[in-house]
Amino acid sequence: MRWLLVAPAVLIVVALTIFPLGFSLWVAFVQYDFALGDQHPWVGLDNFVENWKDPVWRASLWRTAWFSVTMVAIELMLGLLLALAMLRPFRGRRVLMTLYVIPLFISPVVVGGFFDLFVRRPYGAANELASWVWPGEVAIDFSQDSPWVYITLILADVWQWTPFMFVILLAGLSAIPDTLYEAADLDGAKPRHAFVFVTLPLLLPIILIAVTFRLIDAAKLFDIIFSLTRGGPGTDTYTTSYYLYQQGFEFFHLGQGTGGAWMFMIMLTFISFWLVRRLLKPVEEA
Amino acid sequence: MTDVAVERAQSEKHGSSRVVRGGRFRVGGVVRFACIAVYTGFLLLPLYWMAVTSIKSQEDQLSDPPVWFPSDPTTLNYSDALNNFNGWKGLENSLVVAFATTLLAVALGTAAAYSMARFRTGGKHLAFWFLSQRILPPIAIIIPIFLLYSRYSEEWLGFALIDTRLGLILLYTVFALPFTVWMMYAYFRQMPPELEEAALVDGCSRLQALAKIAWPLAAPGVVSAAAFAFIFSWTEFLFAQVLGRDEAITAPVALAGMITFFQGNLYGQASALTMVSLIPALLLGILVQRHLVRGLTLGAVQG
Repeated sequence: MRWLLVAPAVLIVVALTIFPLGFSLWVAFVQYDFALGDQHPWVGLDNFVENWKDPVWRASLWRTAWFSVTMVAIELMLGLLLALAMLRPFRGRRVLMTLYVIPLFISPVVVGGFFDLFVRRPYGAANELASWVWPGEVAIDFSQDSPWVYITLILADVWQWTPFMFVILLAGLSAIPDTLYEAADLDGAKPRHAFVFVTLPLLLPIILIAVTFRLIDAAKLFDIIFSLTRGGPGTDTYTTSYYLYQQGFEFFHLGQGTGGAWMFMIMLTFISFWLVRRLLKPVEEA
Repeated sequence: MTDVAVERAQSEKHGSSRVVRGGRFRVGGVVRFACIAVYTGFLLLPLYWMAVTSIKSQEDQLSDPPVWFPSDPTTLNYSDALNNFNGWKGLENSLVVAFATTLLAVALGTAAAYSMARFRTGGKHLAFWFLSQRILPPIAIIIPIFLLYSRYSEEWLGFALIDTRLGLILLYTVFALPFTVWMMYAYFRQMPPELEEAALVDGCSRLQALAKIAWPLAAPGVVSAAAFAFIFSWTEFLFAQVLGRDEAITAPVALAGMITFFQGNLYGQASALTMVSLIPALLLGILVQRHLVRGLTLGAVQG
């Protein structure tokens, strides 16, 4: 009975993740080519090695790493600032709260589309906005000119995911009892002291949870690349997920894509478990 | 009353200790509202641009410098996007897929979570196994799924899963399960078992206890788990792009097609379809705002 209730959920997960992964492990070691029909010659480690020979693959790994870290760091800062600003009640707070969470319910591919529309030359608004604050004519293609394209991508991700940090940190901040601040006040602590010695330590576990969740997701960045830059200019904004998508579904190098996907998955799993163990340890002890 | 006055009144009402939180009173107040104002601007700007583009005439869209306030708003983009560019089809598929996924994920997730919470089925390992699905990169799953769906499903199952709603529904259910299982797991564990035990003593079966006692009591949790599953399916892109390009095209895929493939002349239509596609997810999002934190962190943070 107890197992009967769990069985359907377990079965569907096994059927659609464990089984395909096992299947893809086989694909990773053979030459999988639609042109070859049912023949799948064994090629050993070729599908893994091919990726490492490709400088775009190596660059995409680094890019994925620094994109994730930069984006999450900015989101954390902004989210914390905003949560502090929104903590105390004021008129219109409820409306703003509703407004602020909107990006969380929008498809990331659409967010990329928003920003594309906004920055596209010459019909988008970004250049005009920039020319208001910058002397002279601004003619930058924010979705194709390096380094602006990085800034645009980061802003798009920040636009979507700062609310994630914000709502979680706000929940954490609201949970800190007022009495602690009163005690700090009585002891003569200045506001910034109270922030450093009361707010931050108590908020830390929540910050770590939020950062862990975001990093794990940010490492899979794909959608906004797809709709905003398509990896361009050249291959300058390829993330690992986008690279593998290209290998698999544009060039139909399914073997190489699968090999890369396995390596990516293993790296991501290690980093994720490390993050969860390392970052969430103080949370579990608390 | 100005904002500063409101703040002053509130801080007096709450006593001076409230001042500590947001930094020093006067400077803090200005900085605080500056933060809020700047962020709100940043948030609204792209949204405004999208909204205004969706009602611009062709002429206004292609004007340089860009038009901030369209002179003659039109609904032409909406009808064009919906009727000529897979708009209705995409929305309909998205709706069907999201509803079915929600039903399936909530049903399977609730049953599993109940068993795990009440009987400790599988202990911690099973719970974390479900959670670890969250780490799995979608790109690693989609390549084998694409092969299985397109080349083997017909041979093994007797029907093709590629480019069908069913194929998407099954895959989405798997990726929505970590949400539903963990949210309901947290919910059932908080619920006192005494009520169900009383029902068992009175002659209910376990299934009846689940259906008549536990399920209704967990209704708020079910609603938010369902909303999250729906929003996930509604906004998912990668799987749909690979698996459902034609017959099972979903709204995000239809949109991405307009945004990226026909660049240049479909601004208005893409914006219009985006505006329409925002509606259901936004309504649901606002509905579950109170459970948002719990949902985003799979119950790790109580909001």
